[in-house]
Amino acid sequence: MGHAVAATKFSSRPLPRFRPCVVRLMHAPAPDHSALIARVAQDRDRTAFAALFAHFAPRVKAYLIRLGAAPNLAEDVAQEAMLSLWRKAHLFDPAKASAPTWVFTIARNLRIDQIRREKRPQIDPDDPLCEAPRSAYDGLAWSQNEAPLRLALAALPPEQAKVIELSFFGDCAHSEIAAKLDIPLGTVKSRLRLAMARLRDAMVDQL
Amino acid sequence: MLLDYASGAADEGVSLIVATHLCFCPSCRALVALAESVGGALLDDVAPMRGDALVNALARLDNVAPEPKAEASRDGTPSSLRHLLGGDLSGVRWRAMGPKLAFANLFRRGQTRARLLKGMPGGDTGSHGHHAFEYTLVLQGGFIDETGSYGPGDLQVATPDIVHNPVADPGEPCINLAVTTAPLRFDRFIPRLAAKTFGF
Repeated sequence: MGHAVAATKFSSRPLPRFRPCVVRLMHAPAPDHSALIARVAQDRDRTAFAALFAHFAPRVKAYLIRLGAAPNLAEDVAQEAMLSLWRKAHLFDPAKASAPTWVFTIARNLRIDQIRREKRPQIDPDDPLCEAPRSAYDGLAWSQNEAPLRLALAALPPEQAKVIELSFFGDCAHSEIAAKLDIPLGTVKSRLRLAMARLRDAMVDQL
Repeated sequence: MLLDYASGAADEGVSLIVATHLCFCPSCRALVALAESVGGALLDDVAPMRGDALVNALARLDNVAPEPKAEASRDGTPSSLRHLLGGDLSGVRWRAMGPKLAFANLFRRGQTRARLLKGMPGGDTGSHGHHAFEYTLVLQGGFIDETGSYGPGDLQVATPDIVHNPVADPGEPCINLAVTTAPLRFDRFIPRLAAKTFGF
């Protein structure tokens, strides 16, 4: 009897909601790097800088090594990247990019400048020409929460993940990716387009 | 092109074209921003720094001055070009290449050349083909050719198989940013001679 009552009681409750615990654990709240950058900008805060250094310098170094730089050179350029962060902190706008994205652009540009020995043509973030009414689509860049993007990246089909990886870590323009994978240029472009559409949708969904 | 620019794989010529186009085009800016966030998200692997790296960095901070904010343009010159020109488009020293056509060299890297071209209303470049790619971005005014008409911010990517003769629109002069990855191929003798003389 007791059993029957218990069963009835249980079924009258709403079903427990599925909670993706693993995903939540993987994306435990990250330290607020944007706030640390703001402290560097406003107060020239060395403690904040040290925390940013501890987090980002080894990542920038790994990025450079992955793109073919010798470890010593990668160490030096990662060091320079962190000094750039100190110098440019007041130009960081968390409404336009997340902290890792901003650090990525610094590392990318320094690599072109110091390792590839070319100039990096850039537009200034506050170029008045670039001020246009912001649509929801433009708002993609404002996102501080990168978890959905990371999830979408991890969920890309392997052939799309490969072209994204070669784009960022192979120093390969589209035509070189085509040659490397021995597939037509059109296929590279369509895979990249599909991948970017998925990633964009992942970002839009969270808005 | 946009993704190559965001990842850093694009060369300097293509990067200049893309950066300058971004000034005119919010939707391409959004796509580049998205691709840059991908770069940020991929900044995940770790290679340990040397033990004294942080101490060394901290010791150098005093000598690092904050980067000054960029000076604004007075005539709406995109900042990507201001960095190269050291000033505005209105300060460019043009070299005449005929009564209605002038140019200014920006840089040369291997076979790639970046230039500014100015066509007075009705001026044309002469019919030409390409050995490789020609990227033409309209900065001011506009032009028309066999493939259509182009206005400020529009980008034409001419592949080797395209033969065209761009003609500047009536009204204000047409100013273009042109990046070529190999010399052009002119059909007629005089433009061919002029092109050779001026290094096109």
